[in-house]
Amino acid sequence: MKILGLSAHYHDSAAALLVDGLPVAAVQEERLSRRKNDSAFPIQAAEYCLDVAGIEPEQLDAIVFYERPMLKFERILVTALRAFPHSWRSFPHAMKNMLGEKAWMRGIIMSRLGVPGSRIMFTEHHQSHAAAAFLTAPTDRAAILTVDGVGEWATLTAGQGERGPGGTRIAIDRELRFPHSLGMLYSTFTAFLGFEVNEGEYKVMGLAAYGRPTMAAGVRRLIPRTADGAFRLDLDYFEFQRSARRSWSDRFVDLFGPPRNRFEPIDLATPDGQRFADCAASVQAVLEEILVDLARDLHKRTGLADLCLGGGVALNGVANARILAESGFERLFVPSSPGDSGCALGAALYADRIFFGNPDRRLDDHGFLGPEVDETALARIAAEDGLIVDRIDDQNLVEESARDLESGLILGWMEGRCEFGPRALGHRSLLAAPHDVAMRDRLNRDIKYREEFRPFAPVVPIEDADLYFEMPPGGARLARFMSGVFPVRQEWRERLAAVTHVDGSARVQTVDRAFAPRLHDLLRAYGRRTGVPVLLNTSFNLAGEPIVCSAEEGYSTFRRSGADALVVGNVRVRKRAATATTRSEYEEAMA
Amino acid sequence: MGVLRNPIQYWVWRDPSRRAYRLLRFAEVEADGGRDLARAAELTRDARLRRLYLRHAKDEQRHADIFRGRGTDLLRSLGGGADRAWQPDWLAPGERGLDDVRVEREGDGALLAFLHLSEREAARSFAAYSDAVGADCDTRNVFQHILRDETFHMNYTRRELARVAPRRQGWLLWRARLGRFWKSYLRFAVALGNVFGTIVLTLQYFILLPPFAWAAKRAERREPKGWVTVASATADRGGQY
Repeated sequence: MKILGLSAHYHDSAAALLVDGLPVAAVQEERLSRRKNDSAFPIQAAEYCLDVAGIEPEQLDAIVFYERPMLKFERILVTALRAFPHSWRSFPHAMKNMLGEKAWMRGIIMSRLGVPGSRIMFTEHHQSHAAAAFLTAPTDRAAILTVDGVGEWATLTAGQGERGPGGTRIAIDRELRFPHSLGMLYSTFTAFLGFEVNEGEYKVMGLAAYGRPTMAAGVRRLIPRTADGAFRLDLDYFEFQRSARRSWSDRFVDLFGPPRNRFEPIDLATPDGQRFADCAASVQAVLEEILVDLARDLHKRTGLADLCLGGGVALNGVANARILAESGFERLFVPSSPGDSGCALGAALYADRIFFGNPDRRLDDHGFLGPEVDETALARIAAEDGLIVDRIDDQNLVEESARDLESGLILGWMEGRCEFGPRALGHRSLLAAPHDVAMRDRLNRDIKYREEFRPFAPVVPIEDADLYFEMPPGGARLARFMSGVFPVRQEWRERLAAVTHVDGSARVQTVDRAFAPRLHDLLRAYGRRTGVPVLLNTSFNLAGEPIVCSAEEGYSTFRRSGADALVVGNVRVRKRAATATTRSEYEEAMA
Repeated sequence: MGVLRNPIQYWVWRDPSRRAYRLLRFAEVEADGGRDLARAAELTRDARLRRLYLRHAKDEQRHADIFRGRGTDLLRSLGGGADRAWQPDWLAPGERGLDDVRVEREGDGALLAFLHLSEREAARSFAAYSDAVGADCDTRNVFQHILRDETFHMNYTRRELARVAPRRQGWLLWRARLGRFWKSYLRFAVALGNVFGTIVLTLQYFILLPPFAWAAKRAERREPKGWVTVASATADRGGQY
């Protein structure tokens, strides 16, 4: 059976293809269109998936969209009605937005892919999240918790899943509904702190480490707990339910002060800068408290050892680590793509196992489902541009790369298929030595062009993780897809200064050899040279751009950044000071 | 047109707060343009063009940094009083970057023609802004520095167009002009449609919705606080409701 899953139109659209119950391809549209967080209909992603399987759209048995557009429309309309007459400004905007395209997904899919409407199905948004979290995890029974901004009505769901020879069951038994949403709370602070919603949440988490949760009591006033252990938002402090202009109210400003102007850099030495950091720390602390409570309650209700966590909030690695440590669950599984793009895969899996009742299949435990990189393309274009191109066998490449990293070079590292999800897990990464703060600053200044308060992540062989980081039981698993933030051991903080955040933590990635053999070998080789088998691993992109996918994109990013060498497969390219060809051509063209 | 435009530019640029925000907005547009050029470099099969596009992309990134730096300095100099001024973007759109060009859909010749016209328009606008900023020498220097680059970009795109499509260059330039005109028309039509849509929907909101709003608010008051129990999904067959 061939099932195509699609997510689109809000942020980060994607497509994923299942063939006989196994994913053969999955990719976010942004990786192909090169528009960050592309929310357009994922036609290029769908075409890529179909190409991998060598099939035409008409050969698909089902196309599954990751949410139910009409339920979503209902929620948007009812929300406007409830806020009447204050919603008069946002109503036209919301209706134009919804009725323009988003409500008519069946027709759009039919016209874009040329498939009959009878083959198009829909799952609920949080069902897709639940399936993406549970059906990709190596567990047969687990509690399931999904948390995000909002889907149709649900903003948070809890339940459990079971799979095996007897079939697959995903039983979501309770939910919280819009406007009461942890994701909306966090997003409101993201916007208040001058960052882009659905993109800047990482920055809030990074900034939180520089502040103290002095305003946590204020945040708790926004989100009082209910008698049954859940929560609600006090809507007097918010405007997202009735305004498209801003998501907080004047009372919110009374509590937390004026919002940050997005154009003004955060200066932590100023009182305002510190207030913003304290705001971030406060909302982060309250988010963690509530998530830990909810997870603890779910553990008590289900008595299960495993928890699968999905939804955009599951990208919050600090909260994930606390859930693992404090909720009572022994293992916590977060997929490589827990946000909306992962719903494309979740929707396809849900349809396969639940709608069609197909038998359970064990999935490969990695997220490398995107396009393959072509090393010959890199060799060709780099040679045309007069750069130094080497073809090296695996062993020498690993040894020489370890030597380069030891000497302080920054390497673009591309191999195999690209990652499905927001993290670079070693197939589309920039690698560097993790020892020096100067390296962190160089990466922020010359390569990533990003705020100085944002930390970089370390990657470490799984067998050594515990030596350098305080990993709780189950932590190494959580770190497989960089989903947990853990303390760097005190005695290693100085030697791992480039990847140790201001609060002594790091968003660790653990690698076993089966997961990424060459990266694992590189870490070992680097460890032999320096005594510390840890590298700095950050996504291979520049500010405002998606992570690179093809060799051409890697090359263009390499040329425009301060990276020193680019490795694609067995081809390595290094820069000359400035190639004579380019300089003369440019001067000639400009003469 | 220039005679008419200059007083408008003076009015737009004389306010320091508005000036600061416009520079910061230009920084974003330049950075976007740089990304489009990088994309063009990734897609072209012409090695010379690839190298030139990459250099051009770096220039655009540098311009973004310069605009951002000057805008931030201006904001800082205004202290806490830098409220966001009203931004008459439609009066002085400045550079529209690459005007939302879909690089993937353009051949080398068509893209060069488009780039040439965009750079020429940007050079004209920046020259006007440079005149309009009055006594603000730092901002004028920024414009003049960038203006030099824009002139270079305008020249190299024209030369390369002549190299890549020697026989069709005139036609490609005309087509690019028509394309820009068509995009202007589309922008206008979309804005007009938007205004009409907003008027009609706002009228509907106040005329048709009140009884439904009353019912919705009544229903909301009856909703339980906290968890909602979810019914079993056994009958679910994947519909959109």
